[in-house]
Amino acid sequence: MLTYILRRILTMIPTLLVISMLVFVIIQLPPGDYLESHIAELQSQGESVDENKIAFLREEYGLDKPMLQQYGQWLFGMLQGDFGYSFEYDLPVTEVVGDRLFLTVIISITTILFTWIIAFPIGIYSATHQYSWGDYGLSTLGFLGLATPNFLLALVMLYFANVYFGTSIGGLMDAEYIDAPWSTDKIISILEHLWIPVVVIGTSGTAGMIRRLRANLLDELQKQYVTTGRAKGLPPGKLLRKYPLRVALNFFVADIGNLLPTVISGAEIVAVVMSLPTTGPILLSALQSQDMYLAGSFLMFLALLTVFGVLVSDIALAMLDPRIRLGGGANK
Amino acid sequence: MKMPYKAIALGAFLLQISAVNALDGLVETPSLTAQVQSGELPPVENRLPREPQLAQLRPDQTAGMHGGELRLLMGKQKDIRQIVIYGYARLVGYTPELDLKADILESYEAFENRVFTLHLREGHKWSDGHPFTSEDFRYYWEDIANNPELSKGGPDKLFIIDGELPKVEYLDKYTVRYSWSMPNPYFLPALAGARPLYIYKPAHYLRQFHARYQSEEVLQQMMDEAGKRKWTGVHVNKDRPYKATNPDLPTLQPWVNSTYPPAERFIFKRNPFYHRMDQNGRQLPYIDSIAINIASSKLVPAKTGAYESDLQARYLRMDNYTFLKSSAKRNDFDVRLWQTGKGAHVALYPNLNTNDPAYRELMRDVRFRRALSLAIHRFEINQVVYFRLVQESNNTVLAEDKLYKPEYQFDGIEFDLEHANQLLDELGLTQRDDRGVRLLPDGRPLEILIQTAGESTEQTDILELIHDSWLDAGIKLYSVPSTREVFRNRIFSGDAIMSIWSGLENGMPTPENSPSDLAPTTKYQYQWPQWGAYYESSGKSGEAPELPAARELVVLNDQWARARTREERIAIWHQMLDINREQMFTIGIVNHVPHPVVVSNQLYNVPAKGFYDISPGSYFGIYKPDTFWFDETRR
Repeated sequence: MLTYILRRILTMIPTLLVISMLVFVIIQLPPGDYLESHIAELQSQGESVDENKIAFLREEYGLDKPMLQQYGQWLFGMLQGDFGYSFEYDLPVTEVVGDRLFLTVIISITTILFTWIIAFPIGIYSATHQYSWGDYGLSTLGFLGLATPNFLLALVMLYFANVYFGTSIGGLMDAEYIDAPWSTDKIISILEHLWIPVVVIGTSGTAGMIRRLRANLLDELQKQYVTTGRAKGLPPGKLLRKYPLRVALNFFVADIGNLLPTVISGAEIVAVVMSLPTTGPILLSALQSQDMYLAGSFLMFLALLTVFGVLVSDIALAMLDPRIRLGGGANK
Repeated sequence: MKMPYKAIALGAFLLQISAVNALDGLVETPSLTAQVQSGELPPVENRLPREPQLAQLRPDQTAGMHGGELRLLMGKQKDIRQIVIYGYARLVGYTPELDLKADILESYEAFENRVFTLHLREGHKWSDGHPFTSEDFRYYWEDIANNPELSKGGPDKLFIIDGELPKVEYLDKYTVRYSWSMPNPYFLPALAGARPLYIYKPAHYLRQFHARYQSEEVLQQMMDEAGKRKWTGVHVNKDRPYKATNPDLPTLQPWVNSTYPPAERFIFKRNPFYHRMDQNGRQLPYIDSIAINIASSKLVPAKTGAYESDLQARYLRMDNYTFLKSSAKRNDFDVRLWQTGKGAHVALYPNLNTNDPAYRELMRDVRFRRALSLAIHRFEINQVVYFRLVQESNNTVLAEDKLYKPEYQFDGIEFDLEHANQLLDELGLTQRDDRGVRLLPDGRPLEILIQTAGESTEQTDILELIHDSWLDAGIKLYSVPSTREVFRNRIFSGDAIMSIWSGLENGMPTPENSPSDLAPTTKYQYQWPQWGAYYESSGKSGEAPELPAARELVVLNDQWARARTREERIAIWHQMLDINREQMFTIGIVNHVPHPVVVSNQLYNVPAKGFYDISPGSYFGIYKPDTFWFDETRR
């Protein structure tokens, strides 16, 4: 087991290295650089551009250096904990992202909890009551959630929340609480706003999870050990919780790998539409304006979390499921 | 716009009276009384300069009361620079009638447009209370503009006339003189710009970041903290009066940023040392603070409709108008329609520097450009896309402008397919393929690819309509959407045959504004990028203009710069406008497109009608937002 973990950690290094190269190259692929898109933006708004200043910034930001050198500096900086400099914000990357991480984590965790609370009972119910009216009804609802475009749902809900409840549109709190110290009013204002993104982001996740839980559980419910248990007189509830449900949960543990990065990045598109103060919109605008160190460092952070999350879920799976553990042993 | 003579006389009389009593009967700003009493701030008579600028209210405006917070919505953090544009305190500034007038300066003298003597206001202070003197001009000129490390290429090119830098003299604490041997017509308009040329900087604050005044150890420490490689990086970062990202930077604007980025909400507080006052002895601005909430730009119309902004025009578009109007019934705001000030809201740019020789020859033939224009059904576009709210026009000055002549707007924009076909036949494009599309001399069909920046459906809708009428003239049109950067690079490199973009940035020029947009002077002119680059780089890159008319425009543009009288400048402007009319280097479609402006019903003094453009209007700037005020419910 220990060697397994060690080997996995060692393979993470070249993986991350390749990812860093890909990230850097892809961010640089569109023509021009940050300053050119900056000039284009200024001009489209009719503002004057000072060529001297642009030349100064190009040198200051190191954009005049060859790409390989820029990559090298960024990579070595990251190893020392320096994630580079955001041109757009004129601040070190850590300061730009840092502020928003907290709210992003709040939204993401609430959304995940929401998803679980809704999806688990429904998934279990529709597996145990397969092809009943309840199963059909709830599945239809789930599919609706899966099929409705998130951003559309977001806009519709924003509008009605504003017209009927007077909630301010978008954002995560009323304007006067932004950057204000924490207080009860501020928390209430956040709760007032939080439910819309949670429901919107949650709906599609809920639907997916219901389907997966249902399918996995159905597979198990057909198996002979369930029939045996039932024949031996185990109460249905205890039987379900003790055996098939636990086996069916493997997919759930495997999901942890994907969970970690989503907790940090939030749902980008919905966040942009609803103008949530999370990290998603920062990443998107950084990519658009070719603010390369901000975008690059952020993507690297996500990649690191993904790789790490996959590792965690693999280890958890191995501990949880003897079949995986023993299968691994048999190969040696 | 002109006031009757009596009103002017009366106004002048009142002004004199109040000017005599300028510093008597001053009213302390309620929100600052606590600070004045505690001694943190001096009383108002010591905060205003000895000779404050008296706000001149228009007939539709009233003197107001202090107080209130103005809420605005912006799309991104960088947009907080809009407050510097709206605030519009400049050394000299435009009036709503577009005349230049001293503002921060008490007065100025321009001798032959080449010697400029600037008189500062005695007792005028920066927003931190430090005196504003000629030392601030000296610091900029000697320690920034002429510092080889801070300004690599030397001072801004607006200072350089025929390779000559000005002689700058600091005559006394309150007088500065810039003199050239040739006229510099760019100098004053640059000081009055939305993004002005800052020829003064808060020396007392910035010195601590300058290698000439600060020890190396302290600088090194600052560099490490800010993550900069050179001291210049720190200095530039601290010294951003236009971006307003540094709350510590003293300013002369009506409102001062008080929030350090990154943030989602920025508060601009009143500048207690601002130099304007109203006739009742109240120091401006009336409004105590401005709160800017950053929201995704796509949500701004919706949020504005929900009354989350008191004064909003940015990120609103004409197609939000009906939504905003219906929201105005539920909320307490008013939707007004202002005019946009561009020479053409949409214009086609035939690329005279395109790489394809067959198309290049066609584009350079004025008959071809005119035929294209005649084959556009502008009335239909006006009806279909703009509900008949706009004017069909060439890309030229607007009808309200002093330089306007009807033929500039109307020559060659009538829909006349017969004439268009006749012109195209004259060009020898008589062969057609089985679709009825004309053939080029080399046998290829006449298919024009129009590049769009892919940003608005408005442009593609218009192209769709042009497509149909051009086809009747035997020309096939394709629109090619891309992104803004790709779009520009295709034009610069000559891959683009034609492109669509907005027309002249300033549709309301005065003869004192440079006519350079009418001549090939920069590479960002999409009809002749190479010729523009040639001029811009003084012949180092690009190509010399080959058409006689384009060469003549360059000569005229240079003559304008040397002109010493207003009459000469007016004559040159007309010559250049006329050449552009005759040659139709750009094909304008429509102008006078209205722009929705949402104004809270509790906010007074915002004009009912106005021009919404950055140059020369600085958006709300020339209407002086420091004179806007709130009624008692919001104070």
